[in-house]
Formats: sequence, C-alpha cells, structure tokens
Amino acid sequence: MKANFSIKKNSDLENDSTNVESSTNEEITEEEFEDFIVKAGAAGSFMVFRSSKKEDELGLDEL
Amino acid sequence: MSENNEFTINELTLNKLLKEKKSSGFEFKSWDDWFNSLFLTNSTDDSQQLMEKVVYNFFHNKDFEDWIKNFALNLNNIWNESSARNLDPTINETYDMKNHSAIVIGRGPSLKKNNHLEKLKNSNYKGSIICTDGALINVLNSGVTPELFPNFYVVTIEPYEIQTTLYDDPIVDKFGSKINGIFSTLTHPDAVERARNAGIKIHWLHTLFDYNEGKKSINNLSSLMVRAKKNNGLPAIQTGGNVGTSCWFIGWKILKCATIGLIGMNHGWEEDDPIETIMSHGNMFDAPKIDNDSQLFKKLFPKIYNPEFNSTCILDPIFQYYSSALKEFISRSPSEITTINATEGGSLFGEKIHCKPFEIFLNEFNA
Repeated sequence: MKANFSIKKNSDLENDSTNVESSTNEEITEEEFEDFIVKAGAAGSFMVFRSSKKEDELGLDEL
Repeated sequence: MSENNEFTINELTLNKLLKEKKSSGFEFKSWDDWFNSLFLTNSTDDSQQLMEKVVYNFFHNKDFEDWIKNFALNLNNIWNESSARNLDPTINETYDMKNHSAIVIGRGPSLKKNNHLEKLKNSNYKGSIICTDGALINVLNSGVTPELFPNFYVVTIEPYEIQTTLYDDPIVDKFGSKINGIFSTLTHPDAVERARNAGIKIHWLHTLFDYNEGKKSINNLSSLMVRAKKNNGLPAIQTGGNVGTSCWFIGWKILKCATIGLIGMNHGWEEDDPIETIMSHGNMFDAPKIDNDSQLFKKLFPKIYNPEFNSTCILDPIFQYYSSALKEFISRSPSEITTINATEGGSLFGEKIHCKPFEIFLNEFNA
C-alpha cells in the first residue's frame, strides 16, 4: 500500500485557524526558560525531586 | 521516501495507525494534529529535564537559607505535633482503599468558569477534600466547608512567608478546628502558626528535593534531626514542584484513596484569558515584553489541544513544567490508582488520566 504526504507550506499554516495545537516545532531553550522562571520564581514554587532510585521519586513512607 | 513524498506501508501498519490515532482521541482530527501531539509528548522528556535543572538551581540558590531557617524554627513543633502518617487510614485493618476517593481542589480558572464549587457544595459527595492552600479561603467562602465534608484537608508546601495570608481570614478561623492541615517541614513558621491559631490541626511531612545527594542532603539531615526526638520519621512526598501535585500524592500515599479527582487544576490558561495574565503566570510578575506573533512566544506559550474535552488551553513555561511532571507521575502510578481530571479542560490528559465532567464524577463517587 502506498501513502502520500500532502505538504502544507508554513505560509498556509499561518492562515489555517484550525491548526491551533502544538503551535511550534521548536522547543524552549534553557536560557528562555531560565529567564522566565527567574522572573516568576520570586512569586513562589518548588522543585521536582529526581533520584537514581526511580521508586524514591514517588515518595518515601518514612524518612 | 520518494521525491514525491510517497512512501509504502502495508495495510496492517495502516490499520494499526488508524487504531492508535482513534484511541489517542484524534479520530476526527487531522493526521498533522495527531503527529504533532505525538512529537510534543516525545519531546517532553528532554525539555522536562532542562526545566527541572533550571528550577533546581534557581531555588537551591534563592531559597536554601530560608529552608534551613524555617526548618530550625519549626523543629520544636515538629517534635511535638503529629506526623502526616497519623492520617493514614490503613491503620484501621478494615479500611479498603478501593472504596475511597478524594477531590483535589486547585485555584485554576475552571473552578469559577464551570461553577465547580457550587456543584460540589450541592452534592452528596462523601469522600475527602484535599484543598490547596491557595484555594482555601475561596473554597470555604463558597460553602464547601468541613461541616458538609468532614474529611477536609489543606496542604502547604511552599516555604514563603506569603503563605501566611492564605490562612489569614475569619472564614479560616471559623472552620479551622475541623480542618486537618498538612505542612512541609520547610513551611514558613508564620504560615503554620497562623493556621495553628485558626485551630487547624497540624500534621508534618518532608518534601523531597535533594535526598538523592546522600547523607549530607538537607532531606536526610532534617530527617535525622526529626528522629532525634520522635520515635519515627515522617513521610516524604514528591511535590512535582507545586502544591496541587503534592495534594495528588497525598491523596494516594497518605490518605490512601484509590480514586482522585482534580478540579481547579487546569495547569494551563484558557484561550480567552487576557494575554497579560497568561504571560505573567496570573499577574504574579510583570509580563515579559514578547511579540505575540514571534516564534519565541509560540515556544513559551504553546497552545495545546485536549482531545478528551475537545478543548484547547495555553501553557506558560511554569505550567509546562508542572503539567509534564504531574502527567509523568500519574503515568507511573499503580493500576489501583485512578486519576480523574474533572476540570473540563486544561492540559492534564494522557496515560492513566481519565477525563470526565465534574457532575459525572460526583454521580459516580457520591457514596
């Protein structure tokens, strides 16, 4: 079975009001995120815990 | 693939693709929408690691001294007050987890938009209410009180003095004695004291952030100090970076509820929210000056389609961070835990997240 991609050019996408999801292919960079979090962080937040023991990441019954 | 962008797959592969597209909730959406959704999911791991590194460094540098100071000032009370483990109902051998549910209440815009507090107040819901500290005053003022819902909990994990204001209201004084409070050992002592003065019964737990760094980690050192006088240690939870995710973990790990519904936890903005609100994470700081049509804007504030509710929402970088983490942890939860996004929108959908309107949730879990 053969399939074919119909390619939409970027200029078409910009005018397509139904294409609202995942609106960019580029990912946020460390600098861009850092700049935002530094501004926002003063307002309060906390951090995600990571561990080489993956089960610890889901919490400990007692510490 | 040929020059004409033509490629060959067998019929079985196409049928698998169609089945997967349908089960992902994209049956009636374009192939492009579905592929983009998959790429977004797969790119999450890398960008999540990046965001977590930035947040870890930022808060470690900014708040380290405050954490230590808060913990030192709390220590005597931690020794003398309850462990959050005392709230664990499995102490009663007849307790059957699968018969119990909880509702986590955040302070996202869907609470008001969908009238969820009014619906909850008028329901016959018998499960636990786990209220984020930021929502507490609004929730009590709405009539959702521990008199109607006796298993009422409030949670604070953030270490800032400003959390004090979340308890500083006559409505908290009125109902405080009927509320169980769950506090991180790093919570600002003034916030705990205000809750204590309102009559809230204090229960302590550790919030994990550096335990992986070993014996000299703050998590480990603080646990040793707690154990110096207490016979047992305290439970330690993953916060996922915010109090809403902490509440979800508390529902599962402390209160031992098999079903956890989420309201007011959009982890995203509505399309019709003011752009300044979106760019400033709810007016928490001055919105950055970024052209709304720029690529940078689209990266920082991507628009997400939620196929479960056929809705869209806009993420900011902080909600990208929160949402990715919570979705990951829900996907890693055991099969006996059911998580229901009842916000009727937002960014929380995917593996092991069931999406249904709040009224249906209330009808299903009203016993």
